[in-house]
Parts: sequence; C-alpha cells; structure tokens
Amino acid sequence: MRKLIYTATIAVSAFVLIQSCSKSNPGNNNGNGGNTGGGFDRKGMLTNMSTNVIIPAYTAYQTATTNLDAAVTAFTTAPDAAKLTAVQTAFKTAYLQWQSTSEFEFGPAGDANLSAGVDTYPTNVTQINSNISANTYNPDLLANLSAKGLPAMDYLLFGIGADNNAILTQYTTDATAGNRKTLLGKLSAELKANAAKILTAWNGTYKNTFLNATGTDVGSSAGQMVNELVFDYELLKNDEIGIPAGVQSMGTVFPEKVQAYYSKISLQLLLAHLQGVQDVYTGKDGLGFDDYVASTTAKYTDGTPLNDAIIKQFATAKAKLQTLTDPLSDNIKTNPTAVTAAYTELQKLTVMLKTDMPSALGILITFGDNDGD
Amino acid sequence: MFISVKEKFTAQKHIAPLAVLRMAFGSIMLVSVVRFLLKGWVYAFYIKPKLHFTFYGFDWVKPLGVLGMYAMFALLILTSVLVTIGLFYRVAITGFFLCFTYVELIDKTTYLNHYYFISVMAFLMIWVPANRYYSADVWRKPGLQVTTVPGWCINIFKLQLILVYFFAGVSKLNYDWLIAAMPLRIWLPANNQLPVIGSLLTQVWVAHAFSWFGAIFDLFIGFLLLDTRTRKPAYFLVVLFHLFTAWFFKIGMFPYIMIFVTIVFFSEQTHLRVITYLKKVIPIKSEQELGRAYVLPPVKSGLIYSLLIIHFTIQLLLPFRYLLYPGKLYWTEEGYRFSWRVMLMEKGGTAFFHVKDPTTGHKTEIVNSQYLTRFQETQMSTQPDMILQFAHMLAKDYQQKGIDNPIVTAESYVTLNGSGTRLYIDSTVNLATQEETFGHKKWILPFHDKAQ
Repeated sequence: MRKLIYTATIAVSAFVLIQSCSKSNPGNNNGNGGNTGGGFDRKGMLTNMSTNVIIPAYTAYQTATTNLDAAVTAFTTAPDAAKLTAVQTAFKTAYLQWQSTSEFEFGPAGDANLSAGVDTYPTNVTQINSNISANTYNPDLLANLSAKGLPAMDYLLFGIGADNNAILTQYTTDATAGNRKTLLGKLSAELKANAAKILTAWNGTYKNTFLNATGTDVGSSAGQMVNELVFDYELLKNDEIGIPAGVQSMGTVFPEKVQAYYSKISLQLLLAHLQGVQDVYTGKDGLGFDDYVASTTAKYTDGTPLNDAIIKQFATAKAKLQTLTDPLSDNIKTNPTAVTAAYTELQKLTVMLKTDMPSALGILITFGDNDGD
Repeated sequence: MFISVKEKFTAQKHIAPLAVLRMAFGSIMLVSVVRFLLKGWVYAFYIKPKLHFTFYGFDWVKPLGVLGMYAMFALLILTSVLVTIGLFYRVAITGFFLCFTYVELIDKTTYLNHYYFISVMAFLMIWVPANRYYSADVWRKPGLQVTTVPGWCINIFKLQLILVYFFAGVSKLNYDWLIAAMPLRIWLPANNQLPVIGSLLTQVWVAHAFSWFGAIFDLFIGFLLLDTRTRKPAYFLVVLFHLFTAWFFKIGMFPYIMIFVTIVFFSEQTHLRVITYLKKVIPIKSEQELGRAYVLPPVKSGLIYSLLIIHFTIQLLLPFRYLLYPGKLYWTEEGYRFSWRVMLMEKGGTAFFHVKDPTTGHKTEIVNSQYLTRFQETQMSTQPDMILQFAHMLAKDYQQKGIDNPIVTAESYVTLNGSGTRLYIDSTVNLATQEETFGHKKWILPFHDKAQ
C-alpha cells in the first residue's frame, strides 16, 4: 500500500515538473472572470433589465400596436388618403418599436412564439391574396405564418399600388376591397392581442420568475437573455442584411427579401435593431451585461478589456451601416461593397456576443450535461 | 509485490461486494436513463438532428428513427432493472452495454467522460458473476448461488476506479489549473447567487483552493479508498466532494454514479451488512450458504484474463496518446477524449463556414443552424474533428446541389480559458479535401500565435 502511494507521489511530481514547463495561458496571468468583493450583482442586473429595458419595451410595443389597430379601424371604417397616411405612420412606429422588443424571446414571448407571428418575412403575397379572395383567415394555419404580422401589413399598406392613390383604390373601389379591409383589421387586431398578452404576463407573475432565476445555467434568466439575444442578433445579421445581399446564396442577391421591403424602411429598422441589441447589452443606464463583463478581467484577443472592445464594435458596425441608405433593397444592388463591409463588422460582433461574452461570464449556452468531476 | 498482486487476482473473496455493486450500478443506471428520457433528450439529441457526428471508424452507427430510439431506451430501462435485481443477468448486462454504447456512438456531440465510464463499467460487469448472490437468478435457480469469487471479479472495478480518479488528477497538473486557477476562476463566480457561500465563490483564492483540492483529491482518493485505515474518511470525502460539484456545476448524474460505485471499495463485512439490511426489506429465499466457490474452467478464465489484460493496457495507455501530437492539447483536442479529462476547459467558439464554387468563384456563407442543432453547433465550433466532419457534410450537400468539387473553408473563432477569441482553423484550407486520420491536423492554427 505504502509503495503504491510512493509510486503515485513520484509519478505525480514528475508530471508537475514536465507540465509546469509548458506554460499555456499567455498574457493572462491575472486570470479572467475573477471578481473581487461579493461579485457581480446578477439580481440587480435582472431587476434593471426587467424594469428599465424589457417591460418598457413591451409596454411601448403594446401601445404602438394598439395605436396601429385603432388607426386601421379608423381607416377601414372610412378609407381616405389622410387615414391611410396615419395607418402607415402608425405601422412604421410599431415596426421600429418591434426591433427593440424582439430580443426577449423567452418566458411568455418564447411560449407564445411571438417573433414568428410578428415578423416572418419575406411575406407570402400569394397566400395573402388568396386569403383576401376567399375572405378567410385562420391565424393558426401554418401557411399563414408568412402571411401575417408586420410583413403582411407592410405589403397591404405599401405594396399593393404604385403610390398611395393606387393603394387607396384597393380599399375603396376594388372588387375585393371589403375583404382586404377585413384582413387588414384581423392582422392588426392579432398583433395587438399578442402584444397585450405578453405584457400582461410580464406585469403579472413572470417578472418574479425572471428575477428569481439568478443562476447562470441555460434556464436562468441571464442564460436565457444571452441565448435569445444572440439568436435575435443572428437574425439581424443574416435575415436583415446577409440573405438579401446574397452572402448565403453564392452571391445571388435577393433585394426583395429585406425586412419591410414595401415601406422601404429596412435600414432604419436595421439600425433600430442594432440599438435594441446594444440596449440589452448595456442595460441602458443601469446594470447590464456591459457592467457584468467589466466586472471580470476578461480581455479581447488584442489585449483591450472585453467590454471596451464590444462597445467599440457596436459603434463600428453602426458607423458602417450608416454609410448605407434606404431603400436598402436598392443599395444592395448599387453599393455592394459598402453592404459587405457593414456585414463584416456585424460578423465580428457575432463572435463577441456569441462566444467571448458568455465564455467570460461562465454562462451556459447549451442544455445537456457537462462533463463532471 | 508480484505475489501479492497474483493473490489479489486469484484468491477467493466473498461475493457480497459484487452483488451490491450490481444493484448499485443497475439502479443508478435506471435513474440516469429515465432522467434522460424525461428531459426530452432522446428527441433532442437523436431524433431531431438531421446530421450526426459519428466517431472515427464508426460511421456505420446511425440513429434508429423515432421508434427505434425509443425502443432502445426502453431496452436500457428493462436491462437496468434486470441487472439491478439480477435476473437473466449476463444477457441483461451485455444488452445494456451494447445499447448504451450504441447510443453514445451515434453522435460525439453528446460525448461525456461519464458516459464513457458507464460503457467501461458495463463492459467489465459482463465478465463477472454478479448475479450469483442475492439475486433473482439465484432465487430462480438456487444452484447458481456461490459464496466466494476469485479476487479479480471485484478488484477490476477498484482498479478501474483508481485509474479514473488518478488520471483525472494527473490531467489537472498543469499551468491553467494550478497556477491560473482556470477554468474555476470563471465558473465559481458564476455561482455567486448560491446561499451562504455565494460571495466566497467570487474570491480568487477560493478558485485556487478548489483547484488544488480537486487535483489532490483526484490523485489520491483511489488509493485512500483502498486502504482499510483511511477508507471511511475517504468515502466521506467522496460523498462530500461529489455533492459539492453536483451543486455547483451542471454535470448531471456523474456525482451520484461515483458515490454509488465507489461503495465497491468497502470490505465484505460492510457489504454483507448492506445485504442483510436489504434482505429485511426484500427477502429472497435462498439455499443455505454452502460456501461454494465460483471457479471457471481454465480455458474460460484464460480468455477473460487476456481480455482484462488488454483492457487495462489500453486504459493505461490511452490517456497518454496526446503526447504523440504537437501543440497544446486543450487547443487542438487531439487525444483529448477517453482520458478522464474533466472540467478542465472553458472553451467556446463561433464558426463560419464558406462554400465556394470553383468554376464560378462564387462563395456562400453557411447558416449552421440550417444543418445542426444549437447543441451540435456549439460543440462543433471548438473541436477540429467535428469541424472537418461538418465541412464534409457541406461538401456532400453542395455536390448534390450540383456544384462540382465545392471548396469548403472554416473561419472559426475560439476562446480557451479566457484567452479571448482567436482564429482556430486555417481559413484558407479547403477542408473538403482533407481526410480524417489519427494524424495531426496541420490546419489547426497554433494557440500562441497571436497572444504575445
């Protein structure tokens, strides 16, 4: 027995000597992610997130969809040019607000699959028109997923005529004007109802559920926020710019696949979305992931503090996007170099949000067990 | 020394520890398998994914479809129960081993050392008569009962456990773990919401203390369990240590499995007491103990001996195979698996794949989620063999889409133990033409390049 222990001790010592020679943690002797004091106040971050970011976002979105629905009702009751413009304005407000609301697809929104119902695009014009001619609309039908929500309304409010006069006739003198008005009303009512449902849940019991899941595993609030933020950000990068620009189709561009193709506010939406993502990262003025990352000693590869690098990358990506102009669908064709440059910066931000940040915080991004000791 | 080893191998010992091990292993497996099912992982890991990352040489292992996979898990439940109660034991444990290993071989995304450990334990249990005492088989056929078995039947499990702990300890003897206290320095503060000790976990010295304690524990615990004088406190430490890790980290069943199977180190008296207690709850009528010994015919025992020698030789060598590869092990992961390396890395990555048509020069970026589940994508991004496999899957897909000899490149950014993300794979190399081998993958970029 004693011999065994001796042998083991010798073997171990030998190994320490060998392995300690191969130092392997360059430039990181200060460690990483370590905290001093009581550590980062995750509960404080969740409190700020829910109070100052998430619930205000849902409240604003609920207000915007309510206003939109009211404007639709006014318009369909007695369609005229002024009311059409009013609906269009209300629509743009709602869409812009959605861009800073789509980041929270967990909890009530996740259960209700909110994003898919609100913002699946490109919208299916054939399906919309067949719903109009048949005068039926079943919100639960899978085929209607791409014939509802903001993208369908984008088409119905901006895409069915060359200008507002032509569009107005589709709601007045056109043979299916009545059916079209009915559908428009149903779509805006659905948006409004879903928005209200999620807000009610957050103002009800879910807020406490959210505040009390203070861990860092996949089911925790911080874990869910990171996961859904990254997922939503990848939609921004891929769907709002990458796919239309042909990044994922051997260079064949698909300008008509941009978000809000008919109202031509794609770039505005893109910038609003990036701001929305950044607000989740920073928690606006309160405790956010920026403070969390800064509370560690995590560094980016270039040696700068990780949080500084991320903030800087948000700014760089935003600046590149600002060199583009609406309609983005035209820019994709006429200014592909600038589009690619913006995409590249968004890509860099992907790595930071998807890998650097969770890894520095020890936040789990997949379910399933880890290797145990 | 040699004689005492031979002694330990062949001298007859009471069978009680083996019977208890059978029940302990069977019951904890039952819990594990049921838990796996209830979590919905059969669907998430083996039915939902369109593609799977098989192990090198095991491409023929395929998921069996919805019905097949659930049937497989039904079999696992059935065989776990049979093993626990010791009914049709040999068939049951062999079936369990085959089914479990098959499932694990389907996709390396889910690879965990503790699944490998289960396969190894089940394999070893095939060769021992664990059903010859206090079992349904003995109740069915009283003639099967034996009182003693050759020492190896019990000691192979102790040896296996010592190897697992010892190698886990050896793998912790490096700069990252001992000096930088990585990755515990990231993982412990992530638990600062825990009551009582939460704020302690954010202290750097605590990460160091845990790292050192963990390394020392792993290195010596096997030997301490072996020695009669230190056994009780050692087992107390085992329970404490594993419960703590279960509390801190999402490591599933592993802590409980270890707490259960390390019981095998206890003396036959202890195990007899366990069985006496169990008999009060579930009395199994058995014949008077005749003190019969379990003796194998020479040919059979010779075969088993050879098998065990081969097994343990492999067990001893496999964890060292990484020495045959250049570069930093944690970075390249060449020779990483099947070596009891656990909890050593906080590693994450994001991988962008590009497919290029060589005739037109047109290039496309792949949306990984169109092919892989999130779990697969996460695991793939940091493991070169999986990156290569995915590149081959993409090449095949684009070949079918009508592009001849598509060029597939990977741009993967990986962070290891807080290094910050850096380029992982040479993004100019066409992975479609690279073959998987046991050799070193030259297209893995060295870890040090950018950092200094």
